[in-house]
Amino acid sequence: MRRDRVWEIAKKDMASARRHRYVLYGLVIVPLILSVFMPLVYILPVMTSEVPEGGLPPFAPGGVSPKEAMIIAIVNMTVLLFMLIPAMVPSVIASYTFVGEKVNKQLEPLLATPTTDSEILMGKILGAFVPAMLATLLSFACLTAVVDVLTFQQLGYLLLPNLLSILVLCVYCPLMAMLSVSLCVFVSSKVSDVRAAMQIGSLSILPFLAFYLMFLSGILSLDIVPLVTFAGVLGAASAALYLLSRATFRREEILTRWR
Amino acid sequence: MGEKFPMIELMGLARKFNGVTAVEDLTFSVGRGEIFGLLGPNGAGKTTTVRMLCCLISPTSGKALVGGHEIGRDSMRIREITGLLPENPGLYPELSAYKNLDFYASLYGVPEGRRRENIRRMLEMVGLWNKRDEPVGTFSKGMQQKIAIVRAMIHEPQVLFLDEPTASLSPDAAKVVREFILELKRERRTIFLCTHNLYEAERLCDRVAILNTRLLAIGSPAELGRRFGRARTEVLLERLNKRIADAVKRLRTVRSVEVDGSRLLVETDDPDTANPSIVEAIVRAGGRIKYVTRPPNVLEEVYLKLVGKDEER
Repeated sequence: MRRDRVWEIAKKDMASARRHRYVLYGLVIVPLILSVFMPLVYILPVMTSEVPEGGLPPFAPGGVSPKEAMIIAIVNMTVLLFMLIPAMVPSVIASYTFVGEKVNKQLEPLLATPTTDSEILMGKILGAFVPAMLATLLSFACLTAVVDVLTFQQLGYLLLPNLLSILVLCVYCPLMAMLSVSLCVFVSSKVSDVRAAMQIGSLSILPFLAFYLMFLSGILSLDIVPLVTFAGVLGAASAALYLLSRATFRREEILTRWR
Repeated sequence: MGEKFPMIELMGLARKFNGVTAVEDLTFSVGRGEIFGLLGPNGAGKTTTVRMLCCLISPTSGKALVGGHEIGRDSMRIREITGLLPENPGLYPELSAYKNLDFYASLYGVPEGRRRENIRRMLEMVGLWNKRDEPVGTFSKGMQQKIAIVRAMIHEPQVLFLDEPTASLSPDAAKVVREFILELKRERRTIFLCTHNLYEAERLCDRVAILNTRLLAIGSPAELGRRFGRARTEVLLERLNKRIADAVKRLRTVRSVEVDGSRLLVETDDPDTANPSIVEAIVRAGGRIKYVTRPPNVLEEVYLKLVGKDEER
């Protein structure tokens, strides 16, 4: 695989995606809500009031004061929500670059170039993956700054980055992005409408939602076994979808079978 | 001409989609530097043939060589030496003309310096260099088509496949594109042209093939006219009378004569040998000739005859 060709395709897709309104919304609004709005709305009230011991949620850690436990619980909840960014942003970009290009008949000249199917697919995956991860990392930097500024005086230490946030950023987010893009590639062979592709692509948040609801209700804790199991489920799902998308993304298939 | 140095060779090439034959048993060759036209009605298999030759889809049977490389085996090499203008330009409307071309040039592996030079030279050739930084979405259809043709040849391919290059263009834009194609011929590029436009094929192509799933005929427009059309000569006179028409009818080489105002349409077996006697007979009968010519749309007559007959089968 020639990396320069892959990168050219990714760069072109990123440049094209930048011009779409929905992509910009996805890249700006969700990260802004998660990194600035949520910590301000949820942490500030806790900082200025007392937290009764019985008022803690089931996912709050033990062994610390109720106020500290509440802050950590809120921050962990927010950090987990960061998985939404790499799930949503690539589905918007990939919908435009796969379904949009199919509908606008832009794939045929691309397929006529001396690039392999894998190079084109990988370029397009990167074109959706890189902005999603950049948006995630940038908004995580904002979240870290906001949370640490708000809580440092109370806690006496920097709450972020913590182990969970590193796991989310380095393992879960890339896997979520991969899952989302692969699903979009597969979906793009079946639908001819960008919005329909976005809607189906957004189903990639389902594994996250299941995990998140179980975490909120206390069924799952943030211990090693559930965290590794979730990473395994995400990894297996994104690998399976990637293989499926690779089988779908072939010149012959695209020109003869894609609807 | 082209047969001596075939750039494209098809040998029994066929393709089926879910058991339905799209093209069958195509065998012909196209020479280096030749403009070759593939004509046929909708669904005749023109685009399928081009897609097989560009290694976008594989044949069900048969084989083909492009630039000496076999499709399916040396696909990457074939894509390097060919350029494709598909039916739809498929440009990226939000990107500028320059960025569209630069992207494709990089995928074709054109080195950066050469890339800049080619983009400039070719955009100047089509008169769009001063619009290089404008998004192609703001261009007219004709301008977009020119950019798409430039994109197909940005890597200076030996073979160009042009699928309906002037479809949906205004007459003036179509004329510019046709002139551009002739310019490419002067550069000795092989051009494989799919078109519905018989006038265009007759004007541009050295040879044409008429296709309707299978190959119906192949040859130069003039050859096809001789083989399948009525060999006719059109003579326009100052004044036409019965005496002149009868004088022409009496010639042994003449098969029939049609009178249309002051115009004579004379059908012969071979215009090249019959025309001097026709002119002589007219002059002897007191006629004053304005011009003698071959009637236009010979190819149209041949095409309609062959395709019509094939669809009756």
